[in-house]
Amino acid sequence: MNPQPKIARRVAITGAGVVSPLGFGLAETLESLRNGTDCVTPVTAFSVEKTRCKTAGQIPDSRLLEGRQSGRRDRRLHRASYMVIAALDELWSQTDGFKPGVVMVGTTSGGMTFGERFYRTLENGGCSASLIANYPPQKQIVDALEKFGLDAPAQVIANACASGTNAIGHAFSSIRAGQYQRVLAGGYDALSELVFVGFDSLQASTPEKCRPFDARRSGMVLGEGAALLALEELESAQRRGAEILAEIVGYGISTDNHHLTQPNPDGSGPRHAMEQALAGADLTPDQIGYINAHGTATAFNDAAEGKAIQQMFDGVPISSTKSMMGHSLGAAGAIEAIVGLLALQRQLLPPNINFREPDPELRLNIIANEARHAEFDCVLSNSFGFGGTNASIVLRKM
Amino acid sequence: MSSWIAGLSWVTPLGSGVDSVWQRLLAGERPPLEKLQSEHSARSYLVHRVPGHASKNLPPHPRLRRASAISRFAAAAGLGAIADAAVTPDVERTAVVFAISNGGVIYTRRFYSEIVKAGAQSASPLLFPETVFNAPASHLAAILGICGASYTVVGDGAVGILALKLADDLLAAGEVDTCLVVAAEEIDSLVCEAYRQWRLLRNARAPESRRGMIVSEGAGAVLLSRNAGGCEIEKIDPGSNFFRRAEATGKLRRTLEGLEVETASFCIGSANGTFVDAAERSALGENVRVYYPKLALGDSIGASVLWQVIIAVQALRTRRLPESVEPVRGSRAIVLACGVNQQIGGLALCCEDEKYRSALS
Repeated sequence: MNPQPKIARRVAITGAGVVSPLGFGLAETLESLRNGTDCVTPVTAFSVEKTRCKTAGQIPDSRLLEGRQSGRRDRRLHRASYMVIAALDELWSQTDGFKPGVVMVGTTSGGMTFGERFYRTLENGGCSASLIANYPPQKQIVDALEKFGLDAPAQVIANACASGTNAIGHAFSSIRAGQYQRVLAGGYDALSELVFVGFDSLQASTPEKCRPFDARRSGMVLGEGAALLALEELESAQRRGAEILAEIVGYGISTDNHHLTQPNPDGSGPRHAMEQALAGADLTPDQIGYINAHGTATAFNDAAEGKAIQQMFDGVPISSTKSMMGHSLGAAGAIEAIVGLLALQRQLLPPNINFREPDPELRLNIIANEARHAEFDCVLSNSFGFGGTNASIVLRKM
Repeated sequence: MSSWIAGLSWVTPLGSGVDSVWQRLLAGERPPLEKLQSEHSARSYLVHRVPGHASKNLPPHPRLRRASAISRFAAAAGLGAIADAAVTPDVERTAVVFAISNGGVIYTRRFYSEIVKAGAQSASPLLFPETVFNAPASHLAAILGICGASYTVVGDGAVGILALKLADDLLAAGEVDTCLVVAAEEIDSLVCEAYRQWRLLRNARAPESRRGMIVSEGAGAVLLSRNAGGCEIEKIDPGSNFFRRAEATGKLRRTLEGLEVETASFCIGSANGTFVDAAERSALGENVRVYYPKLALGDSIGASVLWQVIIAVQALRTRRLPESVEPVRGSRAIVLACGVNQQIGGLALCCEDEKYRSALS
């Protein structure tokens, strides 16, 4: 067996772009985090008459499509492409000379709404080739890359709700091991009826407010968005004079085989991922100053994740920012990595809103309802998904 | 850093044993063409289906009780590759990497059909989890007890190259010691109708025409290892994206140059009866010996690259290619992939292990 390669390269974040229910771009996102804004609204994209849950974190089309859709090709683009384009626009404005060798992004449903429209068109005896040509899950990122003249290969990871963190984590590992010098990494997902009804059918989503880690939490609400990070080998970034926003220093991935949709209640899956991320970063749990939890507000997730966190950490401040924007599935890990980045840069602990009553089973230091100031150097961000995929990354202040 | 193929297996419309299907391909056999009825019209589509026996020998496992065909094909191929390698995978140091294009489309159609026809309140919570792209990977990981890394990569017909690249990177980074790469796909009339409307599908009324693709299904799997021996994946080019079909030839050519096609004995191409044929033929030129398995087995989309890799390995081992009496000379082969939805990639295989080569000669 070959020895494990010596790993020495450091991985810098040199650009970031985001669009989510919290806002367009880093500045608006930061403002929403500071204010603890509840960005969950009644669903407008499709009928929710027959579902329990009626709300989601949504990105208004009026802003998303502003100044776009000029040509025929543009009109065929999926909403998720517009989200990626908006995130790339912002990232591009910060990065001069960033040319990725590969693109690693996460998604769970890609262009699902086009698939839904295709099916409905068929039901009505119609025909629509362009819907199907733009439906596949890699198409949204490839279309967005075309807008920026990028033809780097797109490795699209579909690891359910952990996809975005897996994409960033794998990008980090690949740069650290010397496979690539620059990677564009992140995630995207747009709200779709099939997925919305799917979570509703499982009674995983709630007709009430999303209250992660609350004793009376009743489920998740869905969200949507896109976020991208420019990741680069640190020395290369410094040589070209790029601004270093933060470092990624650790990544952990584990698979929990307990059940297709439910985590092992002992929290072993999340714990394994967090332990790996810390070990890879050469950090101890007390060096983490903030945990952005997966925190979907489902009974099962929060119990398993909370148990793992309390076993490993002693009073580290925790929040689930899904309470403000909903769960954007494949984009969630990427958006939350940017939340972690902003938290590090501004020394801000983003709030876990709608929190009323601590769960007596969980001894956690929840950042309840209001953002707080703190001094810290490292953030841990968790994402867990269907299929038992668990992923954690660690970001460090530069 | 290179990866080595320690084991391989497939589930195809010609059956599931690597060697038996290979012998059938060498003998010029073709799987039967079946007609699949549309759910929405009187139309039917020509397809190659996996015969019922091909994935029947799966061990009983609760995860497979409700699993769709794609998960069963994937499990059969994945377990077959491990059996072929004659290893017991280290559950913490083995990764599962999947390549998928359409995914669990049968359950996806059924689930959405329930929403459309009977209303959201009638949609089955049993179906929804199986519609998620990584459900087949999760089932296989659970069957094997793998608790480390698991990735599902999605894309078009070239996605297998991107999945193999991800696996190769995991091995190169020392994150795992072995990596089970599986690619799988299942047929549904919805997929056929989509390709028909896209004008990529062979016309069911003109089955002898070479124009248009025939959709097929199944799975392919390879167990990659960092231990030298057998067949080596020498280089993987994850390629690029072509934004217009006219760009495909130039980008394929760039991939072939990077893989040093001039030193290869042959290439396993991805021509499928669509615009891909002309793009590949033009990129490859006249001097490269090429075999196009999709013209024999059909296009299994997400699973196709793994079939191509297995065919390349078998051709290097047995020194034979289907549709040709001329023996294969040399030890290097190229697998080229051009998907119908903008992705391109390729890889180079090398097999200099005489013991491995002579095993089937």
